[in-house]
Amino acid sequence: MTDKLPYKVTLSIPFETHEQATIAKNTLSPDPIVKSVDEFNIEYEINDNILQILFSGASNRIIRVTISNTIDNLKTILECIDEFEGKQDHLFEIDGEKFTG
Amino acid sequence: MTVDLDKYLKPGKDHYIALGLEGSANKLGVGVIRHNQGQLTSSNRAEVLSNIRDTYIAPPGEGFLPRDTARHHRNWVVRVIKRALAVAKIKGTDIDVICFTQGPGMGSPLQSVVIAARTLAQLWKIPLMGVNHCVGHIEMGREITGADNPVVLYVSGGNTQVIAYSKQRYRIFGETLDIAIGNCLDRFARTLKIPNEPAPGYNIEQMAKKGKHLVNLPYTVKGMDLSMSGILANIDSIAKDMFGKQNKQLIDEETGEPITAEDLCFSLQEILFSMLVEITERALAHVNSNQVLIVGGVGSNQRLQEMMKLMIEDRKNGQIYATDERFCIDNGIMIAHAGLLSYRMGQVTDLDHTVCTQRFRTDEVFVEWRDD
Repeated sequence: MTDKLPYKVTLSIPFETHEQATIAKNTLSPDPIVKSVDEFNIEYEINDNILQILFSGASNRIIRVTISNTIDNLKTILECIDEFEGKQDHLFEIDGEKFTG
Repeated sequence: MTVDLDKYLKPGKDHYIALGLEGSANKLGVGVIRHNQGQLTSSNRAEVLSNIRDTYIAPPGEGFLPRDTARHHRNWVVRVIKRALAVAKIKGTDIDVICFTQGPGMGSPLQSVVIAARTLAQLWKIPLMGVNHCVGHIEMGREITGADNPVVLYVSGGNTQVIAYSKQRYRIFGETLDIAIGNCLDRFARTLKIPNEPAPGYNIEQMAKKGKHLVNLPYTVKGMDLSMSGILANIDSIAKDMFGKQNKQLIDEETGEPITAEDLCFSLQEILFSMLVEITERALAHVNSNQVLIVGGVGSNQRLQEMMKLMIEDRKNGQIYATDERFCIDNGIMIAHAGLLSYRMGQVTDLDHTVCTQRFRTDEVFVEWRDD
């Protein structure tokens, strides 16, 4: 199968802790990225605090699209970690942010 | 027999709190709801602790595209969650379950919100509950209005369905065969290039109030279903004749007065809403009911409510229920409410089963919390 997917990229994302990396992996991994296994494959590995994501695809285009999407998702995950980790006992205060409703 | 909703109440607690995240279309909503233990009755209503929303508005003449909408949701989701928690004055440890919209809706906006739900659930070790968007509307409508077993007319930008409850399912009696009613109105707003703020349908409604002349349009009810794409094509071509290069002046046959854009909005609403009233009335007759509950974004349209009221008043003990824009238009609180009902029956969604889906029929949901 690997012969059919000649394009490969690995992202290594260092988190602060092993737990953070695990949360990120569990958040990303449920979503199927492309319908066909023949065109694309994604694997997640955790080494201590580093999340490694291995993309392999039939074209570089498919790799670009999926990496872009994964990075967008990682941004949300990181923002959640930054704002909410360890704060389950915290009362949030109303800030100056305006919403359109 | 009534369903026991308290089998899974945490020891030492007398209430439940749920956080709900909604992002299936251009609204990003987060809400916090509280249920006290026991049945939900008129003296023990669900309590809305917060209901925060931010809407992605596309420029005039354009619709909201999945990519841009997903970007909007990603940009705002954490801030909206923080505000919802702040307004509700609750801590993470108070929350029993985090509910999110699992479908139906636009794929990438849904996905951008579930990412936040999954992360938060793991950080705070709270279970997740996936919610069907349509069931969210129905349950919130029932809770707010107190309608116990109504025929539900669900009208929004993505959905048009007439629904009746039977044997623990919300069954679809009639629906659109092509585009949703809100989509039809929104797209006509784009043709006229009127603003999308606060909502295209709202602006059509305001213009329609000034319309007087009914322009002839097709009327396309097909049994219990309806079709709206042909009507849209028809009125679009009339508008193009009037405002395009041809600049053709249309005259009302009866009065000899010129037809305006306001008249077109008026006519479109009248035709579409008459079709809805017809299939709703037929559904009422089928299930022998006299209550109608209108939910969904288009449900906040005053003219639709008025037309439905005229129909229902002719029925014995007929009653119409509708909510205001806080609960009609997509919001997080309805997701929290419907998700909490499932949670109280012992349901939770494992991380591996939290994948969102664009197609998720209303009647796929097992309505375990009702037994009438």
